[in-house]
Amino acid sequence: MVQTQAAMEAYNAYWVNSPVPAAEVMWMVVVLIVAILALWQARTFVSQF
Amino acid sequence: MDLQSLKKQEHQRRIRKGFMWAFFCAILWGLWYIPGTVVWVLNPFDEMYGEIAATNGDSTSLVITAVLITAFNALTVIMALMVWNGALGKFGEMKRTIMEFKPCSRWFFLASIFGGPIAILGSFISMGFVGGAFAAVAALMYPVVGSILASKWYGEKISKRAFVGIAFIIIGGITIFGGGLLTELGNGNIVWIGYIGGLMAAVGWGIEGAIAGKGLDIAEPDVGLTLRFVGENIIWWIIAIPLLAIAGFPMIKYALLVFEPLTMLLLIFAGITFGFCYVTWYKSFPLIGVGRGQGIGNLYGLFAVVFIALFFGDIPSWTILVGGALCLIGSSVMFSEDAGQLESLRGE
Repeated sequence: MVQTQAAMEAYNAYWVNSPVPAAEVMWMVVVLIVAILALWQARTFVSQF
Repeated sequence: MDLQSLKKQEHQRRIRKGFMWAFFCAILWGLWYIPGTVVWVLNPFDEMYGEIAATNGDSTSLVITAVLITAFNALTVIMALMVWNGALGKFGEMKRTIMEFKPCSRWFFLASIFGGPIAILGSFISMGFVGGAFAAVAALMYPVVGSILASKWYGEKISKRAFVGIAFIIIGGITIFGGGLLTELGNGNIVWIGYIGGLMAAVGWGIEGAIAGKGLDIAEPDVGLTLRFVGENIIWWIIAIPLLAIAGFPMIKYALLVFEPLTMLLLIFAGITFGFCYVTWYKSFPLIGVGRGQGIGNLYGLFAVVFIALFFGDIPSWTILVGGALCLIGSSVMFSEDAGQLESLRGE
């Protein structure tokens, strides 16, 4: 199913007031950084305990 | 260094790691509210909501759409957890835990009932009826339920300090619910189902934590949590969705329409944030106890408000800010507890 114009407008409206530049991409970058950090810590944890 | 000092040092390391996992949980849980909120406006969910609302009304439509979103959320969580377990080499352990149903797996399947159809669905409902910031902080009461149950059921020790922390969280929760309700009453627009959703999240996650704490006595958290989500997927995909489809709702039609790049991307990120937050939540329980793990995990409310303000530019109302701050104080009181007090997590 292709996104309708109304759906895309509603989606884009979420990021309009964000103080972060390119907020629609930046939140995903933040997620990936935190997730990789957690996974790295989990591997360290497995080797330590 | 003598044996006693080494033991103490090892214990302090475990406590530090426990708090670290609970902190990871809080950050990732807070981040989950970004895809969890945005996915509602995208298709197929937007059109699904419109179609059901036209025949069954807004409230029914919201709950039914929330079921489909939650089911897909559970599916992408399993994908994220497979990556997690694969990276940690836990597949062998997973097979062993599944085989031991009575002592291990049954606890996690039971946890999936409270965490899935009750807590996560409730959170989605409150998100849809009231808003992302409200949904994030409404469930902050869950450590109260979790720690009381863990204490009564298997004697987990709750210190005075932990009680003070819990009291702050209760006051914070009342501020959040009461303040929001007063604002709604002022507007003459009371969305009761949104508040019920918030309550479902608090009770569901609290009970789930206590049950998981029991199961984690003999099972690995990474594997246990994966089994808990296998249980949740069974509930949604084998029971709930077919039943709703038989009842006449267009579940299958819209489930098949979900393969749209932007929607899939958001669901995958919801899976990563939710899956990783949940696994770190479970990892904290055997190290610092259910009450404290949930208490520190509670900081997710603050992180959600921060991330929503950062990425959506929404400034939360003062009641949510005051309530969130009180819950934060409560969590900090637990966090600053002396490690010696946590030497034995159980009362026996």
